[in-house]
Amino acid sequence: MSLPLYYFLTVTAINVLMSWALYLPYRVAHLHFLTVANMAISGYLGGWLVQNLGFSFWAALPIGLAAGGLLGWLLSLFIGDAPTFTVVIVGFTFIYITRTVIENTAAVGGTLGMFGLPLVAATPALHRWALLALLYALVLLVGFWIYRFDHSRLGRAASAVFVDKDLATSFGVDIKKLGRLLQVFSSTVAGGCGVIYGFLYRSFHLDFFTFHLVGLFMTIIFVGGYATMWGTVVAAPLLYGLTLLFPPEIASWRIVIYGVILVAVLVLKPEGFITRRLVLNLERLLSSRRKKNFTHKESV
Amino acid sequence: MQVFVAQVINGLSLGSIYVLLVTGFNLLLLVAMIIHFAYPQVVLFSMYIAWLVLRWTGNSVALAVAASVAASVAINLASAPLFQKIMKKREEVDINSTMVVSMGIGMIITDVLSHGFNKGLPISFPERFVGGAALFRLGLISLLSGQVLSLAVGVLAVSGIFLLLYKTREGRAFRAIAEDPAGARLVGIPLMSTGLQSYALSGILGGLIAVLLALMLGYASPGLGEQVAHKVLAVSIIAGLGNLPGGLVVGLALGVLESLIQGYLPGSWSNAVAFIVLLVVMLARPRGLFGIKL
Repeated sequence: MSLPLYYFLTVTAINVLMSWALYLPYRVAHLHFLTVANMAISGYLGGWLVQNLGFSFWAALPIGLAAGGLLGWLLSLFIGDAPTFTVVIVGFTFIYITRTVIENTAAVGGTLGMFGLPLVAATPALHRWALLALLYALVLLVGFWIYRFDHSRLGRAASAVFVDKDLATSFGVDIKKLGRLLQVFSSTVAGGCGVIYGFLYRSFHLDFFTFHLVGLFMTIIFVGGYATMWGTVVAAPLLYGLTLLFPPEIASWRIVIYGVILVAVLVLKPEGFITRRLVLNLERLLSSRRKKNFTHKESV
Repeated sequence: MQVFVAQVINGLSLGSIYVLLVTGFNLLLLVAMIIHFAYPQVVLFSMYIAWLVLRWTGNSVALAVAASVAASVAINLASAPLFQKIMKKREEVDINSTMVVSMGIGMIITDVLSHGFNKGLPISFPERFVGGAALFRLGLISLLSGQVLSLAVGVLAVSGIFLLLYKTREGRAFRAIAEDPAGARLVGIPLMSTGLQSYALSGILGGLIAVLLALMLGYASPGLGEQVAHKVLAVSIIAGLGNLPGGLVVGLALGVLESLIQGYLPGSWSNAVAFIVLLVVMLARPRGLFGIKL
């Protein structure tokens, strides 16, 4: 596999996972940017464990996942049912704090970052295949969980919270518990992504975890469609791939391009391109075809 | 003790700028019903425009101030139709959509500043423009002209806005919309034009803040807007969104706190400590200390 294709596929998978990590809490109207801070914290923690304590990547990964989940859980105790703007600003504040702490911590390389992380497998080719397989296995697993969630009672409760918190409460939805559950899940996913992200480039640098990353994930979920998980699957490769196709002088303006697309879509198509109605219609179409095929086979 | 007094003076002038920013932000929130997350980025853009005009006109302060105010008002008014389109009705989720659009606008402004001005490098304002001359000095305590000016303009601007809001007919219209938009429409208050007035007013305020920030800091960089944006939103949340008197108290308190931390802690950690304090207060009181006025 060529290197550009490898990076396109792996970064796309990271973008899908991280955008899902934002999508899930947004089901209860929480823009949980703590995920980006979690990504950095777990990533650096994983890198430090491997480089300084001799852990293997496969041992550091679950620790990174657990660290992300734990941090998400601790903060969710306070902001599990907080208003959206509070969740947003807590996330941003955490990103700032994380950056300052990492910048000033010599053990993780400070402003220089961490370099020379070992391969996760015996050879560079195996390393690439292992990370690719791991990432897409995670995409399938997380995607399956989100799909099950969206089609469960909890998913319907989340939709009710998004539309009207008071109404959802009167229906017996525990807003705080639901918010906490989604925040912890998204933080865990982000923690895992952080560790893999670093081993993808075999280095960690603070510039990996900037507000540009927040902008990219936000653009992916709002352009793709925040009401279903499929919007992310469509928008992540398109938006990331789009900037790779541009000549370098235009690609360097990618944040402006993302910003313009984000604003235009929110104004013109507020639910994004993949709407809930579109997904429902597709599901109905597929199920009616299945039924037709079934009755056709029966009659034959 | 001298360090303490000196830092309190610094903090009050910095706090006065936070108060102005929070007031402009809250004005848009209350009357236009938008969470204008990019308001500090608009202010930063105006700083860059002021810097350009200073360079082109051989340091004409009057023209720089005028250009800064014009730029801020223009961006605010240009973004108004976008927000108006999204804000069809006043519900929490709609307010959140305006916040996301505003973040998009912030992304665009920050990246345009990083690519289009001074090759993305920080800009510095000329000595003549920056209020660095000491009006009074006693040991470590000094009172700089920029600090006095920012404090004076801050007090005047905030007093002016409070007078406008509580003593004039237009102010009553602003407050009526903030209290009950449907009721305000019933008694004949034009929501659209009053909303636009609030965009213009916060634009004027934004232009003035840009000049004061330039006076206080003497420099600007593309990342400054994001950092200030988060502090402003944090101040508004801690004060209680839309709470103008609360914003006044918390804005000044944050300015003093930050200056004291800078006075007593190593520079690289001071920002983190300020953010940790903000975080702790937000986690303890996610709905603010003085109550949400929405």
